[in-house]
Amino acid sequence: MTMPGRKVIMNFEVTPTSHSLEEYRARGGYATLEKALKLQPADITKEVTASGLLGHGGAAFPVGRKWGVMKPIPGEIHYLCANADEGEPGTFKDRWILENAPHLLVESMLITSYALGVRHAFVYIRGEFDLPYRRIQGAIDEAYAAGYLGKPVFGTDFALDIVVYRGAGSYVCGEASGLITSIEGRKPYPRNRPPRLTVRGLYQKPTVINNVESLANITGIIRMGAEEFRKIGTAKSPGTQLISISGHIAKPGVYEVEYGYPWAKFLDEDCGGMLHGAKMKCVVPGGISTKVLTRAEIEPLTLCHESVNPAGSGIGSGGMIAIAEGTCMVRLLQVLLRFYHHESCGQCTPCREGMGWMHRIIDRIVEGKGVPEDIDRLYAISAANDGTTICGMGDAAGYATVGILNKYRDEFEYFITNRRSKFDGRLECLA
Amino acid sequence: MKHLIPEFEKMKERYPEGFESSLVLPCLRRIQEDRGFVAEEDIVALVDYLKVPRIQVEEVLSYYTMLRRKPIGRFHLQACRNIACSMRGAEGVIAHLSRKLGVKPGQTTPDGTFTLTEVECLGSCGTAPVVMVNEAYHENMSTEKLDRLVDELAAGVRAGGK
Amino acid sequence: MPRLTIDGREIEAAAGRTVMEAATDAGIFIPYFCWHPKLSVPGNCRICVVGVEDKGGEWVEIACNMPVTEGMVVYTNSEKVRARRKATMQFITLNHPVDCGICDKAGECTLQDYHYEYNGERSISVDAKAHATKHYSLSPRIVLDNERCIQCTRCVRFTREISKSNGLGMQNRADHSLVRAVEDGSFANDPYSDNVIDICPVGALLSRSFLHKARVWYLKPTASVCPGCSRGCTVNLWHRRPEWRLRAPGMRAQNETIDRVTPLENPAVNGPWICNKGRDIAKVLGRARAETAMLKGRPAELQGAIAQARSLIAAARKPVAVVSSWASNEELAAFKAALGARFSVLVKADHEPEPGEVVQDDILIRADKNPNTAGARALFGEAPLALPPDADLVLVWGEGLDFGLIPAGAKIVYLNAWLQPENGHADVFFPTSIQTERDGHYTNFAGVTSAFTQCFPRPAGVADAQALFAALAGQAGGGE
Repeated sequence: MTMPGRKVIMNFEVTPTSHSLEEYRARGGYATLEKALKLQPADITKEVTASGLLGHGGAAFPVGRKWGVMKPIPGEIHYLCANADEGEPGTFKDRWILENAPHLLVESMLITSYALGVRHAFVYIRGEFDLPYRRIQGAIDEAYAAGYLGKPVFGTDFALDIVVYRGAGSYVCGEASGLITSIEGRKPYPRNRPPRLTVRGLYQKPTVINNVESLANITGIIRMGAEEFRKIGTAKSPGTQLISISGHIAKPGVYEVEYGYPWAKFLDEDCGGMLHGAKMKCVVPGGISTKVLTRAEIEPLTLCHESVNPAGSGIGSGGMIAIAEGTCMVRLLQVLLRFYHHESCGQCTPCREGMGWMHRIIDRIVEGKGVPEDIDRLYAISAANDGTTICGMGDAAGYATVGILNKYRDEFEYFITNRRSKFDGRLECLA
Repeated sequence: MKHLIPEFEKMKERYPEGFESSLVLPCLRRIQEDRGFVAEEDIVALVDYLKVPRIQVEEVLSYYTMLRRKPIGRFHLQACRNIACSMRGAEGVIAHLSRKLGVKPGQTTPDGTFTLTEVECLGSCGTAPVVMVNEAYHENMSTEKLDRLVDELAAGVRAGGK
Repeated sequence: MPRLTIDGREIEAAAGRTVMEAATDAGIFIPYFCWHPKLSVPGNCRICVVGVEDKGGEWVEIACNMPVTEGMVVYTNSEKVRARRKATMQFITLNHPVDCGICDKAGECTLQDYHYEYNGERSISVDAKAHATKHYSLSPRIVLDNERCIQCTRCVRFTREISKSNGLGMQNRADHSLVRAVEDGSFANDPYSDNVIDICPVGALLSRSFLHKARVWYLKPTASVCPGCSRGCTVNLWHRRPEWRLRAPGMRAQNETIDRVTPLENPAVNGPWICNKGRDIAKVLGRARAETAMLKGRPAELQGAIAQARSLIAAARKPVAVVSSWASNEELAAFKAALGARFSVLVKADHEPEPGEVVQDDILIRADKNPNTAGARALFGEAPLALPPDADLVLVWGEGLDFGLIPAGAKIVYLNAWLQPENGHADVFFPTSIQTERDGHYTNFAGVTSAFTQCFPRPAGVADAQALFAALAGQAGGGE
């Protein structure tokens, strides 16, 4: 498969055994750890900061800045969690790393833990993932057996334990503080900030939570050095992005895309264009919580934050969904709002009440019982969830709703007036 | 549950000290794997073992969609109905399964073989639509593949095998 | 100490305080549902938003989780804040039934007040309200209406952080979440459970004993002290307002009964809490009363009884008094002044722990089930309750003494408020008033003195102990 640009993560051929420790070592695995342990912990953080690596979980927060809050004080307890609760609809890139490059994650977590003074690290993996769980647990077991985990490594006094913590079905666990509450063995209610989790996180101890892909970049950054890493991608978006693409696309799957790669080219050439040669209506750029962009809007854009953000959307979690002409956006929004309603944890008022409310409204519209004011109501509920909730979920549902309403208001008006879909309620792309 | 305590003790070894509360979720998952669901006696034994408030265990059981307190069918068919799967025919898949099994989503066939559940995104959007059968993902599903899958599972039960 | 400005008023707040705390300390009101000064901060209701000035603009966040910083400028009622509060009220009332007409909380409901203050408009929703369980039995004492619940989790946090019973939790998720009691039934054993009724900001948690008993605006709270143990928690006794007296025949009981008991916040004694026994104190105070003086079991006029008692006291060679630990400091002092020199005095426990009652814990409940043991002992010493065998007159004040302990042949003068068999065995019996029929003070185990206030008139025929002691000592007055 051709790949759009240079690679940091998907830089080897996937075979039935390529995830093993043996083959990972043959590719130079764990050599970077040895190199890193000769550096001062603070120098690793400095290198990661210099690399300009942005978080790959969705918010694109600079990884180095997050780490900078944690000071590795000897004797103090710090925790690291890899966020493998990949639950944003349309997103399945971390799953690729867990299944195919689990040792890359383990090595990266070792280097990160060394940098941050962490003795215990966690991989929080979504409960439904079975093969990804077995692969990462298998890799960790191999690493224990090989002496990388559980005892001092490479003649230093640094030792790390990694626990794989399996969720049990909840989207909110992907939110960093919800994840932490879940590891504490409770319902994953997100927490108010302040305090930040890097100040008071897991069991009130400073905790860094990084997305799997963010962490997977660490080994590459330390191996090649920040300067080399920055040569990949763009000045403001260094490196690459794993993009998982699905929907009405000819070749769905996970692609490593160098930041700055032309978006249209990616879709038309690398992904083989639309399914059944259909015309593209719009695309969800990075998980359903990012606002949809029409084909015309993405035409001049390249895949990097500084290009996509000004267009009113974002790279998000890299979960791209291509949507063909003829798809009913009302029904599509119904699917999304049903999801948000299902996954609201119910802790804070705007999201708990707002998600159910929006879901009831959209269901009513689809039943043919919509009224013209429903559109304003959806806008109002979205606005009342914007920045008002404990975690970002209320905002996300609002973005998704407003994104679709802004661009396809006519479909909603048509549905309400005619009591039926402009496109037969179609979600599939017909041949 | 009590026969699982040696396993739990082993699991504990990799956790930092004072993480008993964290073991609630992994223990419940293991109990469910063992029994098929979490029974009242499991809750009592787990509360006694971990010394956590019982209400915490009840809350967790009620919150997470994968945990259950009642037995279900031998094969749990979980069909994703989120965006990517719906765009690739999940609604047809679910309707077909429902017709074929003669049950609505959320129900179990009278012989206790199949339980059909609609679920939200399983992270298999690139290979949509996806149906989970117990722990395993079955991807790129079509009505033909579903028929084959369900028939094979049912035949296995009739033959008395697994 | 950071200095900040709230609504133009400059205030000083200790570092580490939140804007909510700083404002509350300074007497500035910020609305809240889920916040409670004694509980953790979940920040879930989102009504306490305030605006903070920032680079010429204003950002809006919840005050309960916002640390004060030096020089911060806060607005509690800016346009942005009002708009946000209104939107939040729309959410909170979205599925809340408009059944105030049959809700016990009406009249003291935070949601009602805030609706008028911060929203005041119809719902913008046209969809039917979502339904949930009504009349759910949370315990034998508490009824839950899940439709009214706004899920602030105050009750859940109370059982986690204050009573530590872990008796309540929040089940399920999204708008299907439900407050539920732990399934092993242990919430019923939480001796502090009824505090969740008070801290519920809406009418979701209701007291079964008060259910549909009275509209709160017909009631009036009278400050009092719980006599249930030596903690002496300050309480409000709620009873019918005099101006709303029921005038139909046979209504005296309804007019002169304690309808409910709630805590009267008191940092020195009980904070904002009381135990369930305190809630039920009306049962103790509502027992059948003795209302007639007696001479050896025969009804007598009060004046006649006083004369008889005086002659017994005058004739006694070794008079002993056993005083009540349910008596007020004023009554005890009156006894000491009038008769203290004539009697040797012992202090008794009127009440012992009942079977099944929590004897003592490290929250509020004390093992001594009498409110004023400390007050009585301060006046009459710590001597153990041992009646000298040669006592020839025993004055017993209050219930709880085994008359079998009184030396044979000794004369008995008995003061008691209740209708009890011992009354008829005394040579002279005086019916006395109870706490709700007089003012007074109790001193608790830690030496803190709290006042209680009269709620109802003293029944005819019942003596006021203070006056009675003076009369028995031959001073002026007659006990009525």
